[in-house]
Amino acid sequence: MSGKRLIIAALVLGLVQIGFLSWIIAGRAAILRNGKEVLLKVEPVDPRDLLRGDYISINNSISRIPVKLIANIPAGKFTSNDTSIVVRLKKGADGYWQPTTAWFGKAPAPAGPDEADIAGRVADGWGLREPDATIAPEYGIDRFYLPEGEGMAIQSDMRVRPFGIKLALSANGTAQIKALMDGDKTLFEEPLY
Amino acid sequence: MAGYAAKVRGDIARWREAGLIDAATADALTRDVGANERASLSFGSILAMMAALLFGAAILIFVAANWEVIPRLARVAALFAVILGGYVGGAFSKTRDHAAIGEALWIVAAAAFGGSIALIGQMYHLSGDEASALLTWCAGTALAAVALRSNPLTVTSVGIADAWLFLKWGGFFRRAEFPYFFAAVALVLFATSFWTRSQAARHLIILSILFYLALLAIDRNTLEVAIPLVLVSALLFAAAIFAAEPVDRIVQLGGRLPLHALIGFLAGLAMVQFELADEVSYSSGFAIASAAALAGIVAAIMLGGRESRGLRWVAYAGFAFELAIIYGVMLQSMLGTAGFFLSAAVLLGILALIIIRIEKRMRAPAGGGAAA
Repeated sequence: MSGKRLIIAALVLGLVQIGFLSWIIAGRAAILRNGKEVLLKVEPVDPRDLLRGDYISINNSISRIPVKLIANIPAGKFTSNDTSIVVRLKKGADGYWQPTTAWFGKAPAPAGPDEADIAGRVADGWGLREPDATIAPEYGIDRFYLPEGEGMAIQSDMRVRPFGIKLALSANGTAQIKALMDGDKTLFEEPLY
Repeated sequence: MAGYAAKVRGDIARWREAGLIDAATADALTRDVGANERASLSFGSILAMMAALLFGAAILIFVAANWEVIPRLARVAALFAVILGGYVGGAFSKTRDHAAIGEALWIVAAAAFGGSIALIGQMYHLSGDEASALLTWCAGTALAAVALRSNPLTVTSVGIADAWLFLKWGGFFRRAEFPYFFAAVALVLFATSFWTRSQAARHLIILSILFYLALLAIDRNTLEVAIPLVLVSALLFAAAIFAAEPVDRIVQLGGRLPLHALIGFLAGLAMVQFELADEVSYSSGFAIASAAALAGIVAAIMLGGRESRGLRWVAYAGFAFELAIIYGVMLQSMLGTAGFFLSAAVLLGILALIIIRIEKRMRAPAGGGAAA
C-alpha cells in the first residue's frame, strides 16, 4: 500500500471508529433527555467489573416478573423461548413504579398516561406452568458504576434503608439508568454526556 | 530469522571459495536470501510491541478506575484523540520506515477503542454483558487490521475473539447459550488473515478452533464432536503430507499444517478416550481409540517427522499422554502406590528410549535413515 493511501485509510478508520462510539453515546443521551422517567425500588447484590471498575449490582422490583402477569402465554406452553418481553409499569402510591402486565413480543396497545413500558429479553427455559413461578428478564439496567472506592459504603447503606433507581425509558422501551436515589435524595444524577 | 540468513551468506561465501559455485550463482543466491529474509522480530520491535500492550492495559485500567477528577467528556475526548492519533501516527511511522513503531501505535489505538467501549458502558451503566462489548471490540480491531493490512492487529483481534469465547462460554456451570457464533468469527478472521498476510493469526485461529471444539465437546455430546474432528484431522494430515505444496499454497501456514492436524487428531482421540474411560471394562471403545492414537503417532512420525522437528515433539507429547492415560485407565485399579512409581519409571524409560532412537534416526542423512 502506498504511503498516502495508508494514511488516508488510517484517518478514515479512526473517524469510523470514533463515529461509531459517538453514535452509541448520542443514542444513550437521547434516551436520558427525552425518555419517560420511572422510579424502581432496588436492592444491592455484589461488585466489580474488570474493565469498567466498581459497580453495585442491583436487583430492582421488576427483576422477577410473576408468570401470572404475562398476558399472552400460548396455551399448553411449558417453558419460555428466547424472546423479547414488554413489561408495563404503573406508578404506585409511594412513588415507586410496579409491574402490572407483561407480554412476550410486543404490547398490544400503547401505555396510558401514568404508565410506561420497559423492554427486556427472556432467556429460554423458564418454567411457565406453575401458578406462582417467576421469570427474570434482562433489561440491561442491573449495574450502577461508581467512582473507585465508593461502592462498598453505598452498598452497606442499601442494606439498611430503601434505595431507588430512576430510569429513562425511550418510546420503544429501552431503559437507561438516570439516577441512583437514597430515599428522596439523589445520590448520582447522570449528566447527558 | 536473521541468524539463518547470515549463516547462509557465510555458507555461500565458503562454497564460492571452494569453487563449488561460480561468482554469478553466488551473487544470485545472496540476493535471493536477502529478498526472502523474513522481516524478523528484532529486539527493538518486540520492545515496541510490549510497550504498546502495557500502554493499552494502562488505558483500560484508567477507564476502570472511573476517576472523577477528569470530567468524563474529557476522558471520552482523550480516548478519541488516542484512537485517531494512534492510527494516523502509526500510518506516518510506517511510511517513514519505522514499521515496528507504526504497528505498536496501531495496537495502542485499538486498545483505546476497547477502552472507549468500556467507558461508554460505565457512563451509561450498560450492564449488557462484557461479552458483547468484547465482540464489538474484536470487530473494530479486525476492521482496523483490514484497513491497515496489519499483521499484529489481526493477531490482536484473534486474541480478543478468544477472550470473548472463553467469557461467553462461562465455565462448566453456566446457563448461557453456547457461543456457536465463534465459528463464524473464526472463519471471518481466517479470511482476513490472508489479506493482512498474517500467518501467525492463522496458527492462532486453528488452535482457537481446537479450543472451541474442546469446549463444545464438554458442553454437548463428546463423540459427535470428537469423531468428526479425528477424521477431518487425519484427512488434513494426509493432504498436507502427500500434496504438501498445493495445500500450503492455499492455506499458507509455512508448512505447519501437519502439526495442527496432528494436534487436532490427538485432541479428538483424547476426548474419545476421556468419554469412554468409564466403560473400559465392558466396551472395547477405549482400547480402539488408544490403538488409533498410537498408530496415528507412529504414522505421523514416519510420514512427516523427518521434515518437522515440531511435529516430532508434538508426537512425543501425544505419546507421553497416551502412556499416561492408558496406564491410568487400564492399570490404576490393579496397582498400589509403589506400583505407580515403578510403572511411571518404566513408562518414562520407554518414552526416553523411543525419543532418543527416533531423534538419532531423523538426524542421520536421508539415505542412511531409509536403509536402517
